[in-house]
Amino acid sequence: MSEKNMEEKVEQAASSKTISLPISRVRLIMKSSPDVSCINQDALFLTTKATELFVQHLALASYKNGSGRETNTLSYSDLANTAEETETFQFLTDILPRKILAGDYLKSLEEMGKDDDNL
Amino acid sequence: MWEMFKDLMFEANLRENMEATHRRGPEGRFPTLKKLQAYLQNKILVSSITMDGDSGTTDATQLGIAGEFMTGGTYVLQTQDDDGDESFNDHDDGNGGKDHFREQDIYLPIANVARIMKNAIPQTGKIAKDAKECVQECVSEFISFITSEASERCHQEKRKTINGEDILFAMSTLGFDMYVEPLKLYLQKFREAMKGEKGITSVTGAEGLGEELTEDSFTGQLPAGLITADGQQQNVMVYTTSYQQIPGVQQIQFT
Repeated sequence: MSEKNMEEKVEQAASSKTISLPISRVRLIMKSSPDVSCINQDALFLTTKATELFVQHLALASYKNGSGRETNTLSYSDLANTAEETETFQFLTDILPRKILAGDYLKSLEEMGKDDDNL
Repeated sequence: MWEMFKDLMFEANLRENMEATHRRGPEGRFPTLKKLQAYLQNKILVSSITMDGDSGTTDATQLGIAGEFMTGGTYVLQTQDDDGDESFNDHDDGNGGKDHFREQDIYLPIANVARIMKNAIPQTGKIAKDAKECVQECVSEFISFITSEASERCHQEKRKTINGEDILFAMSTLGFDMYVEPLKLYLQKFREAMKGEKGITSVTGAEGLGEELTEDSFTGQLPAGLITADGQQQNVMVYTTSYQQIPGVQQIQFT
């Protein structure tokens, strides 16, 4: 991230004292991980705030990624592309698969079948 | 047999993914090409397995899966011939089935998520509906991701409670180190706000507090200064519980 973005984020963080996400829900999600017993209050606050930053980060990066088009809309494919291309978001590739047309899929299935035959 | 078990687990995982897809509505999503191909090639014959483990089919028992693997959740696994819709309806959310699969059904409210997204992109931009839903899922994934990393470190150090340091460390490990500085500032600010409110009123009514917030969590610390982004000092009045005023500035270094 560029210097300017960093400063903006820091200002935002410093200025906003309130959280806009429900903490109890965040705790619920955290507890759903295996082997998690107790979570400190600080950890909870930090995670909630970090989630906000993450959403902003992801939304902005995806929006910029797709800004070449005229539609000005952030779409699913923008997100999927960003997840593939940006290293930080690589962990999202499993839940953000790129869409493929059924026709294309069937073609590739045929090709795979041919490969098997050749073997 | 292990191969079959692995396939079964994979199958269930894929089913979950497709489940989420189906729940989203007709638009849905295709799983990745590789997964779909693997799934169809495996052609696993299974049936629904209940929480009690008595699936009533020979397949499960033949696979030799112990009951405890499948307790706490219902998996519906489907042959190629089955009608897709039936098995989707049978699928239980499996809230208890956290043993081997992360609970991906818990999301943060979409309105909140959408609002944050809107504030992040330029004013004129719009957001597609499936993009919002998708970011919702990504958020849950992110939280789980950070938490599991922090939890692992906690375990390594033989501690039971995940604290703020663990979270920050997890973030820098996972490539989110750009968040760490703003977060430290945020935490500092929040503590300030909490202390201030605590001094003036005895009721902690700050927004977003969890039920378990007790007074104990904020004793023992009394920062009397504030580090701003540009490093300038500010005069801060800090009200302690005994209502003594402490003017002046102290710089606090984060280690």
